[in-house]
Amino acid sequence: MAEVTANGVRLHVQRLAPPGGAGPDAPIVVTVHGMVMDNLSSFYFAIGNSLASAGAQVIAYDLRGHGKSERTATGYRLTDAMDDLSAMLDALGVDRPVHLIGNSYGATMVLAYGLANPARVASMTLVEPPFQIEGLGEEMASSLAQVSFGLSDAEVETWLEEGAGRAVTRITRSAQKLLNDTTIAADMLETEPFSPEKLRETTTPVLAIYGANSDIIHQAEELQSLVPSCTLVILEHHTHMVLREAAEYLRQLLRWWLFDRAAPQPVYSMPESRQQYVTPEWVTQMVPPPDLNAGRRAAAGAGAEAGDGVGAHAGSTTPGSTSTTPG
Amino acid sequence: MTSPGIADLQTDPAEEKILEQVATLLREVIGEEYVLDLQITLETSFNEDLELESIEFVTLADRLTATYGTRVDFVGFLSEKDVDQVINMKVGEVVDYISTSLAASDG
Repeated sequence: MAEVTANGVRLHVQRLAPPGGAGPDAPIVVTVHGMVMDNLSSFYFAIGNSLASAGAQVIAYDLRGHGKSERTATGYRLTDAMDDLSAMLDALGVDRPVHLIGNSYGATMVLAYGLANPARVASMTLVEPPFQIEGLGEEMASSLAQVSFGLSDAEVETWLEEGAGRAVTRITRSAQKLLNDTTIAADMLETEPFSPEKLRETTTPVLAIYGANSDIIHQAEELQSLVPSCTLVILEHHTHMVLREAAEYLRQLLRWWLFDRAAPQPVYSMPESRQQYVTPEWVTQMVPPPDLNAGRRAAAGAGAEAGDGVGAHAGSTTPGSTSTTPG
Repeated sequence: MTSPGIADLQTDPAEEKILEQVATLLREVIGEEYVLDLQITLETSFNEDLELESIEFVTLADRLTATYGTRVDFVGFLSEKDVDQVINMKVGEVVDYISTSLAASDG
């Protein structure tokens, strides 16, 4: 079933395979979602079923404290997340190197995991990883503190009570509990910096994806310069929410990465909608959107997608009822 | 938007049985009191009517897979759909897919 006890924690796991099951040599993909306002569903829908349909064995799981996994009171350090992952792979009997795919904080965790456990990892795909050598822990903690502050804002409370709708309210309430009832904020401070030596020495293939309009795009360059095995893909017109915005291209890109890397890399072309995504100023400043309740006051339902950005830096979110048009 | 194809299904006893199974699983997944008496039809929208959270749809797909086994390929069904497309579906689209898959595996 959909639950595994690993490292003493009950984790929600979804396994996807092609009809008839994945072959014995099929790539095993493990997805790691973003922090706080996120869960396994974002990868499940964006690429999980697609990669399974193409022949991979896909394991999508909720990090502790997220989605349907147990919300423990403590144990939210990056190293705890890494221990959880190892224990989950053991519990599932995975005995081959896996292709890790992470989003946002999940991508940072994937990179740390891959450097620490090279024998267990076949490749690392990093979607919008917050990446810096100095002060990574402080940056993560400060990012979480801002999210926490944003989620406790009075306007957010009004929005949740009156206009947000059931789906967004549920994921936001869950995020509030994680931030208020656990040690996650303090635990972030214990994030150890990446070792430049280890990054230079790694031979594990890395695929890094950033949106050109992301507020952390400046971190892409340092990542690429430090990791010789890094293939960097920057998607024009996209933001930190690229997993959700450009899912169709990412499906192509990941199929190429897993099954057909000798072929030319798929070229990104703008979807027919020609929609351009920009990072709204309130995301950069990490405050609640100014028009959170204005939309609802003007016209019922409008502005409901604002929840996407409240946890924008910590993770990306996919509340079911939201649209994909931030800003 | 009522497509004639979906409306026609309502008269089919096999479809009705599938709808009943899907509706029962949906009520279990949502697990809140208000859905117990809620009428779930082929026209019910996961998003607009049920306000389903995307992770709840994951659980629904998991339960449906457990119910129908290899006769219905939900992985294939969901493989090229973005989350918004999934969540904006109507219950009838899932029922229709199950019905078609079961008919094909029986044939």
